[in-house]
Amino acid sequence: MKILVVEDETKIGDYLRQGLSEAGFVTDLARTGLDGHHLAMTESYDLIILDVMLPDIDGWRILQSLHDAGKNVPVLFLTARDSVEDRVKGLELGADDYLVKPFAFAELLARVRTLLRRGATPVAETSLKVGDLSLDLVRRQARRGGRCIQLTAKEFSLLEFLMRHRGEVMPRSLIASQVWDMNFDSDTNVIDVAIRRLRAKIEEGFDSKLIHTVRGMGYMLDEPAQE
Amino acid sequence: MNPAVRHPLSLTLRLTLLFAIAAMLAFAVFGWIIERSIKQHFFDEDVAELKAIASSVTKTLSTRGKLDVSTVLRQRFNDILVGHHSAVLYVTREDGSTVFASPGEHDLSAMGHNGMEPVAEGLLHVWQDAGHTYRVLTRRLEMPSPANERYTVSVAVAIDSHLRFLKTFHRTLWLMIASGIVLLGILGWVAVRRGLAPLRSIVAQIHRTSASELNTRLRPEAMPRELSDLAESFNGMLARIEEAFERLSNFSADIAHELRTPVTSLLTQSQVALSQSRGMEEYREILYSNIEEYERMAQMIGDMLLLAKTDNGQYELDRITVDLTSEVEDLFDYYEAWAEERGVSLSLTGEAVTEGDRAMLRRALSNLLSNAIRHCPAGEAVRVVLEQTSREAVIRVKNPGPPIPAEHIPRLFDRFHRVDASRHRSGDGAGLGLAIVKSIVDVHRGRIVASSTDKCTTFEVRLPSRSTSITEREVGRNNMA
Repeated sequence: MKILVVEDETKIGDYLRQGLSEAGFVTDLARTGLDGHHLAMTESYDLIILDVMLPDIDGWRILQSLHDAGKNVPVLFLTARDSVEDRVKGLELGADDYLVKPFAFAELLARVRTLLRRGATPVAETSLKVGDLSLDLVRRQARRGGRCIQLTAKEFSLLEFLMRHRGEVMPRSLIASQVWDMNFDSDTNVIDVAIRRLRAKIEEGFDSKLIHTVRGMGYMLDEPAQE
Repeated sequence: MNPAVRHPLSLTLRLTLLFAIAAMLAFAVFGWIIERSIKQHFFDEDVAELKAIASSVTKTLSTRGKLDVSTVLRQRFNDILVGHHSAVLYVTREDGSTVFASPGEHDLSAMGHNGMEPVAEGLLHVWQDAGHTYRVLTRRLEMPSPANERYTVSVAVAIDSHLRFLKTFHRTLWLMIASGIVLLGILGWVAVRRGLAPLRSIVAQIHRTSASELNTRLRPEAMPRELSDLAESFNGMLARIEEAFERLSNFSADIAHELRTPVTSLLTQSQVALSQSRGMEEYREILYSNIEEYERMAQMIGDMLLLAKTDNGQYELDRITVDLTSEVEDLFDYYEAWAEERGVSLSLTGEAVTEGDRAMLRRALSNLLSNAIRHCPAGEAVRVVLEQTSREAVIRVKNPGPPIPAEHIPRLFDRFHRVDASRHRSGDGAGLGLAIVKSIVDVHRGRIVASSTDKCTTFEVRLPSRSTSITEREVGRNNMA
């Protein structure tokens, strides 16, 4: 998977490249809009992360020109201003998602993975399975080690979300927005409490942990062997 | 400024002009009446005199009888004229021959009686001759039989002196009127300037009011009634500006303070961490702890940006119909586990619908709800009561618990305001939660009120039901312009 990052802020650009590389992506970094535009037009990428506030040519124009050239690459844009106009403009110009600075790297990573997955043919799954935990999406039942686990509707959605992103760290803000549709930072530890309750249900009485706390980043659900 | 817009005349000039025009009109009417009545008086006097003489002449001619002695007649006519200064008499027969013509300087015979068709009652006219002007009464006399004679009698008085007097009077009168108008104009100007002095003093006071002296106030009680209203409105405006200004400067100071604290702690922590070599785990701990601090700062920045945007009217509301009932239910879903862990139950009664930005309203409700849950003692319930009136959607969020001291209620929605100063950083954000609620309610043209009793703290939000999107947009445009 090859990703292009267009970002003029030196430090942010470096860290994005490092973070994405360490997450297993091949990453190119362009420090100016012109470089970014050139790379985007000539190389083939699976995803472009585009800062819209660039000193030479702004992100909108790069987006426009990619669109005009018929390049169908998913674009995630970064903006410093969280305004409706910016969001609408970006999405109209063909961007697929956006993040407002400052953002958490875990969130960026999660969104990048979601966008990259979007291209793949979606599998109509009827069940999910991680280790000995299985989720029946049709009957909306959870089982672990042959034992049936009673979950509330929201707990089921939360578990489904974590299982669909198995092995990926999900930041709290992303969980809040995807599971509860709460698109703002809450100053409470609502997500922690919800995770704690879910854990109690799917881990108590079992030998191994499935939900892992990744300090400073969020939560990840994965098979115990990978811990 | 648009050059096409002409500056209106100054008040002083306007009032002075009005005053002068009024004076001019009054004087003109007054002068006209005086002149007319004097003329009339002279005329009446002349006519009375002429008639008296004419009557005497008529009498003399009718009693004349057969005495056709012209000397006697002349003597009688002369007698009549005695005592009538400057009166002239001229009598002719039907054939035009002169019976009598006053001798001397005034001679009416030059006028002649040809072409005149006088009647018995007499004909009044003015005749000019040799530098004199006369008022003349001409009568026709028919002597009954036996004499059966016809006479034409003209009696005249010279009115030169009257005319001279009138001319002089006219000139004097209008000269006086003209100077009167000028004088009154000047007086008017002085009076207006003096009358408008309080206005100038207000202007001078307003001029002196600078940003650093927003606490100065005009004194309405020391001003004329017409201006005290203005002064009071101005004071009101000044008070609002002062308050907003103070809040703003406090806000800036608070921002600096709120940012300095985490930056100091991050700096210290990182420097201490680097001061000696440590184990991997220890470094990791430090980074984790840093992330928490960064996240808090990021959230604070986001909150402040939102506040700045709503303050400037830059936030464009994405208006749709919002079912508050289902919004509250969603939020209950979200907060349920957290509330349960705190031993707090949630209840919702009533329903309401409004129009507004769903994400914003959700955020406001979320802040109110988390605030209520946080301050609700274990074992108690947070109640949300929705009510729909014809014009408003009312949302009440109630929680039992220790009352908020009355002195904090008005400042509850201030930025960075905390009821309990020591509660700083105990997990309730930067103290912007309620300020954000208020901003969101404000951009929706709603109102928010907090009240607190021993038993229950209530936040009441009233949102207008009807759409105000057009005015909203216009306001937004004006703010941007």
